Amino acid sequence: MANAIEIRDLTKNYGKNRGVSGVSLTVKEGDIYGFIGPNGAGKSTTIRSMLGFLRFEEGSIKILGMDSVKDHEKILENVGYMPSEAWFYGNMRVSEVIEYAAKVRGKDCSAEAAKLCERLKVDTRKRIRELSLGNRKKVSIVCAMQHCPKLFVFDEPTGGLDPLMQKHFFELINEYVAKGATCLLSTHVLSEVNKYCRHAAIMREGRLTELESADIDDETFLRFYEEE
Amino acid sequence: MKTILMREVRLNLKNLLIWSFVVGGIGMICILLYKSMEGDMKEMADAFSNMGAFADAFGMSTLSIATFKGFFATEVGTVHSLGSGMFAALIAVCILSKEEEGHTGEFLLSLPVSRTSVVAAKGLCVAVMLVVFTLFCSLLYWVGILIVGDEMPVAGFLEFMGKQCLMDLEIGAVCFAVSSLSWKNRTGLGLGIAVLFYFYDIIGRVVPDLKDALFIGPYSFANASEILSGKETEPAAIITSLAVTAVCTVFAFLCYNKRDIAS
Repeated sequence: MANAIEIRDLTKNYGKNRGVSGVSLTVKEGDIYGFIGPNGAGKSTTIRSMLGFLRFEEGSIKILGMDSVKDHEKILENVGYMPSEAWFYGNMRVSEVIEYAAKVRGKDCSAEAAKLCERLKVDTRKRIRELSLGNRKKVSIVCAMQHCPKLFVFDEPTGGLDPLMQKHFFELINEYVAKGATCLLSTHVLSEVNKYCRHAAIMREGRLTELESADIDDETFLRFYEEE
Repeated sequence: MKTILMREVRLNLKNLLIWSFVVGGIGMICILLYKSMEGDMKEMADAFSNMGAFADAFGMSTLSIATFKGFFATEVGTVHSLGSGMFAALIAVCILSKEEEGHTGEFLLSLPVSRTSVVAAKGLCVAVMLVVFTLFCSLLYWVGILIVGDEMPVAGFLEFMGKQCLMDLEIGAVCFAVSSLSWKNRTGLGLGIAVLFYFYDIIGRVVPDLKDALFIGPYSFANASEILSGKETEPAAIITSLAVTAVCTVFAFLCYNKRDIAS
């Protein structure tokens, strides 16, 4: 299996504040990779560096075999990203946001989008400003999945989703991964990692530790939080 | 890029309509009021001619306010200069920073589009807005001029509106650069920049020591009285304006390309 994500010695600081230091991570194609760690550990910094939102000082990132800086646009054509905070343009209707995302991609994703909206029970007529966090997250899932990308990057995706929607969400991930996609899942929820991920890594104070197995117990998991 | 441009134009359409109708409408009303004020204008012109620096500042020493051209230059010139400058600042100063303030930058930049394309689409939107605004106001003013029926040289009128548009583009470019730096909307700062430029021009025309440095400001070459009285524009003023517009636009591209995007 080729590498879907290959991060080497990534270092990113925010002025004098620590971001991440010397992070190396490899995710194979077809994997569902759990990325766990306490708040402020550097999970989002790593993800946001991968996708070009942050300019990092040292290291290299390859996504789907392409350089994250040089081939930025090409990479994003094949990535579906869901940020931890699902913010959209408040005045737009849900249908307009979904269509806008597809149009910028230059694709007609209407069939896949309709399927996803039905599965996730998304009301496409509502305006974004009328939606709760959970419903905005559902719109974010549709935007991330409608173009059937090769790589999914989810940053704390299930916060705000009800248990039934969480179940549907993971069913969708499994379906896309069965078709050849890869998924990087950043989360605080250990049960999600145990249940759905095949490999995992824990991040703490800007440093990453790859775990031998994604099946970790509560004590090991909490030790990472307590040792802060 | 086309999709982003179209969306930005749609988002700013309401602003464009409001400002066009307000600025263009006030200018048109001023023109239509000329006939009813024509008789009093001669006395007013005599009074202004004794005001020295004040008359210089508002161009009333160049053209008599008693004539239609002078009235247009003083009244519409002031309304349009200030109104269009404020509109340019308002549109440009928020166009990039609103993505940061609204936390929508991550959504937009997670789509396969380069930051350069985003800045280009938004910059182009500002330019389109300012050109349409100028055309719309020109149309309203010209309708007013036709109704009044007094003489107004077409070339002078078009030169005035064209230079106003160039001036607006310069103010817009300065505010666009500010927007590329900001994490939140700086509407107050943008309006402040436009008003500051306007008063720099007013003061520059009154204070003798500042007259040589007047060309630095964007209002210097777009003065209605000077244009309608046929006074030649200093090439340095136009060159400075184009240079400032270009430098600020390039700065916005460089800055937005290098910065970290807020989550």
